[in-house]
This record gives sequence, C-alpha cells and structure tokens, in this order.
Amino acid sequence: MEKYFDASYIWESIPLLIPFLKMTFMVAGLSVLFGTLLGFILTVAKTGKSKFARKLATGYTTIIRCTPSIVLLFLVYYGLPAIGDRFGLNLNNIDTAVFVIITFTLQFAAAMSEVMRSAFQSIDNGQFEAAVSVGLSNSQAYRRIVFPQAFVVALPNFGNSLLAVLQEGSLAYTIGLIDVVGKANLIIAGNYNAHALEIFLALAIIYWILSIAIEQFFLKLEQVFSKGKQGLKTA
Amino acid sequence: MSEGLNYKFLVDTFFIALSGVPITLFITVVALLFALPLGFLLALTRINRIPVLHRFAQVYVSFVRGTPIIIQIFIVYSSVPLLLSSLFTKFNIGMNVYDVNPIWYAFIVFSFNTTAVLIEVFRSALSTVNRGQLEAAQSVGLTDVQAYRRIIIPQALVVAMPNICTATVNLIKATSLGYAMSLQEITLKAKVAANVGYNYVEAYIDIFLVYLLLCSAVEYAFKLYEKRLSKYKPSVV
Amino acid sequence: MLEIKDVYKSFGKTEILKGVDVTIDKGDVVVILGPSGSGKTTLLRCINFLEKADQGRAVFGDIDVNLGTATKKQIHQIRQKIAFVFQSNNLFNNKTALENVTEGLVIGRKVPKEEAVKIGKKALDKVGLTDKYDAYPSELSGGQQQRVGIARAVALNPDIILFDEPTSALDPELVGEVLTVMKNIAREGTTMLVVTHEMDFAKDVANKVIFMDGGVIVEEGTPHEIFVNPKEERTQKFLKRVLPEDFTYHI
Ligand SMILES: Nc1ncnc2c1ncn2[C@@H]1O[C@H](COP(=O)(O)OP(=O)(O)O)[C@@H](O)[C@H]1O
Ligand SMILES: [Mg+2]
Repeated sequence: MEKYFDASYIWESIPLLIPFLKMTFMVAGLSVLFGTLLGFILTVAKTGKSKFARKLATGYTTIIRCTPSIVLLFLVYYGLPAIGDRFGLNLNNIDTAVFVIITFTLQFAAAMSEVMRSAFQSIDNGQFEAAVSVGLSNSQAYRRIVFPQAFVVALPNFGNSLLAVLQEGSLAYTIGLIDVVGKANLIIAGNYNAHALEIFLALAIIYWILSIAIEQFFLKLEQVFSKGKQGLKTA
Repeated sequence: MSEGLNYKFLVDTFFIALSGVPITLFITVVALLFALPLGFLLALTRINRIPVLHRFAQVYVSFVRGTPIIIQIFIVYSSVPLLLSSLFTKFNIGMNVYDVNPIWYAFIVFSFNTTAVLIEVFRSALSTVNRGQLEAAQSVGLTDVQAYRRIIIPQALVVAMPNICTATVNLIKATSLGYAMSLQEITLKAKVAANVGYNYVEAYIDIFLVYLLLCSAVEYAFKLYEKRLSKYKPSVV
Repeated sequence: MLEIKDVYKSFGKTEILKGVDVTIDKGDVVVILGPSGSGKTTLLRCINFLEKADQGRAVFGDIDVNLGTATKKQIHQIRQKIAFVFQSNNLFNNKTALENVTEGLVIGRKVPKEEAVKIGKKALDKVGLTDKYDAYPSELSGGQQQRVGIARAVALNPDIILFDEPTSALDPELVGEVLTVMKNIAREGTTMLVVTHEMDFAKDVANKVIFMDGGVIVEEGTPHEIFVNPKEERTQKFLKRVLPEDFTYHI
C-alpha cells in the first residue's frame, strides 16, 4: 500500500461528506437549544437570592469547565446506562446521538450560564430602577428593558459558544456517531487507511468555511441589534 | 444486573491516571513556552499591520479557530510522517517514521494551536492599553522598545492574564485528545487499564477527577498570580 | 399633599437616615440641600421604593403606606403618583427618546399607544427636543438625555416629580438648558422635590428649602430664611462653603 498525496481526493470526498452535516447540525442544534434552556435556569440560580442555588450552579460550571469534552462524552456514554441499570432501566439501546446531545447540552448550558450572567450583570441597575419608577412591574422591567439590552451584550459570546459546540461535537465519532467526522473515518477505512490526510483536509475545509459563515452571521446580527446601544452614528 | 462500582479498580486506576499528569504538564509547558512569545510577536504584527505577516497571522488564527483540534491533530499526525518518511528516504537516514515518539507530534499540534489562541488574546489585550500610554512613554524619552517592555507589556499582561488562564486550562483539556496520537497521557493510560475488565465508568470517573484537580489547581495558581499583578490595573476615576 | 414621616434607613450597621420628615404641598418646589453623603439620594430612593426603608410612612391623600413593608400594590399605587428624574438619567438605552417617554404610559398605565405618542411628543416638545423623537440615548448629548429624562417624568402627569441632582453629572455648559426646563415646568405649577447644588435654582424657584446633614433635617424654611438668616451653625458653615462669592439674595 503506497502513501502519497493526491489533492483530487479532497475535492472528491467533500460531496460525500456534506450530506452528513445534517447529523452534525442536528446534534449541535439540539444541544444549543436544550443547553440554552438549562443555561437560563443556571443563570437564574446564579443571580438569585438563594445562596445554596448559587453555589450549586457555580460549582456545576466550574466542574464542567474543568472537564475535557471527550471525558464528559464517555462519562455520559458509559455512566448513564450504568445509572439507568441501577433503576432497572435499559438505556443501552438508545441512539448514540442522544448521548452526544446530552453531553453537549450539559457543556453548552455551563458556558451559556456564564454568558447570560455576565450580560445580565453588565446592564446598569439604573435601567431597572427607571423602568419600575415609570410604573412597569418587575417582570415588565426585565422583559422590556433589561433583557433586550442583555441579549445584545450576550450575542457575540453566544456565537462563540455555538462555534465551540460545533467544533467539540466533532468528537462524537468516538462513540460511533456518523456525522461528518464519522463519515470521514468510514471513507478512510474504506480506502484501507490510504489518503487519510486528504480526507482530513476536506473535513478541515468544511469546518473552516462553516465557522467563517457563522461568525459573519453573528457579526451581522450584532449590527442589526446594537441600534441604540452604541451610537451607530448613522452618518 | 447492576454490580455497582468496582471501588478497588476505581482507586487503583486513579493513580494510573495520575501518572499521566507529568506528560500532560510537560506538553502544556512546552506548548506555552513556544506559543507565548510567538503569539505575542504575531499579535504585534496584527496590531501594527505589518504587511504580509499580519495577513498570515489573520489566516492562521482563522484556520485554528475555525477547525476542531481533533482535526488539526489528524492532519498533523497524517502529514508529518509523510513528510518525514520522504525526507528520511531522500537523505538516506536509517530511521523508521513509526519510531518517532508521539510526543513530538503533540508538541507540534498544541504549540500550533495555542499560538493562534494567544495571538487573539494578546491582540485584544494590547488594544485595550490606552494609546496615550505609548505616547506618554515616548514623551518622557523612552524608545519604542523600552516603552513596550516597561509600560505597555506589563499592562497588557494584566489584562491578558485571565484569558491566558483560560487558554492554559483549554490546552490541558485538549491534551486528552492525545489518544489520537497514541500519547501516553491521563486519558489513554486510564482507558487502557479499563480495557481489561470493561471498567469504563470507573476509568472515566478517575480521568474526570484528575482533570478536575489539575485544572482547578491551575486556575487557583493563576488567581494568586493575578492578585499580585493587579496593582498595574488602570486606575478608575 | 405628600407627607413623609420619620424615615429610618441603615446600610449594614451605618445609619444613613435617622428620622426624616418632609411635607410637600401641592404646587410646592422643595429643594433639599446638604453635603454629599448626607442621605439625600437615599431619602428620595426610599420615597420611590427603590430602597426599602427600615421604618417610615408616606401619606398621600387617603393613601397611607409604610415605607418598609408596603405591598406590591401599594408600591405601584405610589409610583403612579411620583415620577423620578435620576442623576445619571437612566434612559432606556434600547429605546428612542419618544419610546422612553411612552414606555411608562403604554406598559405601566395601559394608555392606548396612539394617545401615548401624542402625550410623549408634547412632553418632548416642552423640553425642546422636537427634532429628537427618534434618536437613541447614545445619539444625544448629556443635556439632551437629561431633558428626555424630565420629559419621561412629565409625561406621566405625576402629582410629584423627584429630582436627584439632575445636573451634577453634566458638563458645565449643559447645565443651563436643563435648569431652564426645570424652571419652566415649575412655573406651570408642577410639584417638585429637588436635590441639587444649584443655589440659584433654589433661590429663584423654590418656595421651601431643606438643609440635610448626617441623615437628619437640620433646618428648613423659605429660601430667604435659609440663605439670609440661617439659624443653625451647621447650615451657616455649609452655605459659606458652597455659596459663590457673588451670591446675592434679592427679595
Ligand atoms: N446601597 C448602598 N449600600 C451601602 N451604602 C450606601 C448605599 N447607598 C448609599 N450608601 C451610603 O449612604 C450614605 C448616603 O448616601 P446618599 O444618600 O447617596 O448621599 P447623598 O445623596 O446625600 O450624597 C453614603 O455614605 C453612602 O456611601
Ligand atoms: Mg446623591
């Protein structure tokens, strides 16, 4: 078996890989969705009155921050069925994607809770006070005045966290998910491990383009939403 | 039926995982030693818009930020041996590429990756140091180099420190991907131990604990250091 | 019309307000003077429930509420009658000038949008910002921002407007425009409680001046009584320090 570099393998594999982005997107998308919800709950705990809830949420975030994605992924993959076993549940036949989504939901929630907390706390308390002083209720003040401003502050970091989830998601192949990376490995195996480099380059190109597109999208979004925040001096 | 955790294995493997810490730290330190100065210099090329170099730095950062580390590892691990073996044949070096210690690949990948991360860290830190600081330094007769060494860099470092901490923790975590290069670090060591009796849950709990200890310790060390540095922070009026 | 009785407030162990009483009648312009840290802001914030007093009452016509234990409903009731102009204006950054003014009307008071816009425009016209309806706060100067802040309060047609040093965060050349607006609305008969260091405003516009120090009211009276014949030594000392050399009091 001879090893040599042949760029045509890059271009030929890209169309084979693209359809599997669907799985990549689905896993990342659902993780972002559930992670944002869980992250919101964590943020409420972190900014709330209960000291216990605050400690718990902060501790959770620290632990997740210190855990490599691949370790969390395998902990979930082996750990959940083991725990299920304890309660007489058979979780061994669950779709791999579920474990992946759980893993990255846990991770994204921790990241988002920090993003949302710092965005929320960056909004001057005077904004809330002015809102209630003109007769808005507390929840109206949050909904109409504080959150919209915090949202704009959070947007860039939300984008970064989303990119991170997309990239960390590339590890899902290790537990057998057939997303783009999984497919790439299948192609390589099909080639008897020849031309692996070209396939990996194809993968890199796909991820790179995706990341740039998402980054640009969030930059645009920021511009749209930051009206009034920074005097976008429309000359 | 469930048998619960194998506690003996849990304890034994914890120490096996722990024995992977030195190699993880070794790679981390080497990558940082390489990436800190290089990242700083390339950040300067970005800030001062040095032709060619600043474009290069921009594309480089974009690539590293835009692609998963595992794919960067795949690429290095499958391209460097190709290069080496053609070099070995060309110069008639009697060495097999498969004898190369994987730690060399790890040095390459993680230095490559961390440099790009630190370019961005330094770039944003440098741009927060007030332009007036440089002008003030020049006005009292410092050369540009002196101004940077004595005024700008100390301030930028304070701003950058939390992000350098994050980069370091991320680097340590990323070494867990060393398995893809057969690197004998924390994760692989514990996993191999688990292969015998399928004690994967225990093994990953151990790995998890070791990273938790390691990263918390690093974060704590950075906090202490930041406290000492904070006297350089710009005064708030 | 509004009686504030016996307000106490501590932050931690430090007592900031030590039994303050203020009475304001309809059409009054009451100015509170006092060194910084004397508790003026805290008093206004307690009146508007932005700070919870430890003790104290607010009697407002037939409403009598405890400043420390008021219910949500009571708080809402009082806030409907009292508007607040903040030192740092606190305009809603995500809303235009007009939206800032209509927000409280539409959302807080359920005024129909169309009517609210009409009221809002009138309020902005009154403070001289006819051409700035659609400007965001970040597009306005400090003086313009504070005038929107005043319009926001005026539009609510409150019984009383509280001002907390509305000009002290402004560049000197912008102070005049804000004071002019305040004088105008005072002239229209608006009841105002104003914390300020602008002695000329106190002298020309107020009908009652209160001097506060160390969390208590040291002395109160007409501008003439306070500026010409202050009784208390503390008042005399304070005025000597803050009054400009050429400050004269004409009757
Ligand atoms: N939220 C707070 N927590 C603790 N201390 C406060 C708080 N708000 C005000 N203070 C203290 O209360 C005192 C009076 O403040 P303030 O009412 O703002 O005075 P003034 O407006 O007269 O300058 C000051 O010493 C201030 O430090
Ligand atoms: Mg004050």
